[in-house]
Amino acid sequence: MNIASLIMEYKWILEICYALIISSICMVIVIKTDKFFKLSLHQGIRYFRNAFFFYGIAFIGRYIFGLFSDMNWQSALVIGFLFEYFLIMAGFFLLYSLIYKKIESPKEQHLTSLMNSKIIVFHVMAIILAILDQIFKGYSFMFFSQMIIFACASYIAYKNFKKNSKKEFPKFYFLATIIGFVAWSLNFAVALYLHWNQGILINIGMMNIVFFLLFLYGVLKVTQK
Amino acid sequence: MTAKKRERLDVIRDILNTIRESRQIKPTRLLYASNLSPQMFKEYINELLEKKFLKLDIDNKDKKSFSLTKKGQDFLMEYRVIENFIENFGL
Repeated sequence: MNIASLIMEYKWILEICYALIISSICMVIVIKTDKFFKLSLHQGIRYFRNAFFFYGIAFIGRYIFGLFSDMNWQSALVIGFLFEYFLIMAGFFLLYSLIYKKIESPKEQHLTSLMNSKIIVFHVMAIILAILDQIFKGYSFMFFSQMIIFACASYIAYKNFKKNSKKEFPKFYFLATIIGFVAWSLNFAVALYLHWNQGILINIGMMNIVFFLLFLYGVLKVTQK
Repeated sequence: MTAKKRERLDVIRDILNTIRESRQIKPTRLLYASNLSPQMFKEYINELLEKKFLKLDIDNKDKKSFSLTKKGQDFLMEYRVIENFIENFGL
């Protein structure tokens, strides 16, 4: 039995491990940043924390609940919709944490960051995109929206890196957004043109883990006393 | 040339630092030291009291003064880390 067929046979174990690794990383990031948000009430930290909270939920939901529930078409539809919704919202939150200062006034205080007059636009967009993908039975709308989000995030991260070149993390943040952009673009290509090629999908999975590890490294390193 | 506007976090740090340096400080002195308008000062103080970063002491002559709580002292220690985090992540 070669490695490729071994991987295919135990794919479900790999998927659970993949989900557990990413959701654990997200959990650590959320716990660390939540502490800082509660101390400072800084809106940027709040949105950044939300991004990883949504990523965590998306991955737990998609792989763990998806594997153990009976996958009739209704539950597959609901899980697919929720996975996309949380993943798209996570991307929106990550981008919004970088641009909220240009959109919100400094005096603006919201009771909750999960639903306010600005964030509701993202909820509506995420719901529409997730529904469109369920209707067309694919992931193209999500992939394409994430490619745009990460292209914008990469540009902003690059500007931050140039502005704060003496700081340690901005270069890694930029690198992470580039990896995110490449991973989503590959996802798009694999789904549309490469018939879900398993080899490329494994590489995308590795890239996703690197993406989350970079953020974890940043959070742990920067918050080290 | 205009001075850079202080961010909300910087104002909080300045207020808490002023209180820490004096240990106890009267509201009027703190208002002058904070360099804020009375309205803004009131908003910040209310927030800091609400978050239990400082406490209002009233002596038997009915004189008021502010002092730092343990949570306020912890915040000052964490402030550097939070500031570093915000700069590094472009938030």
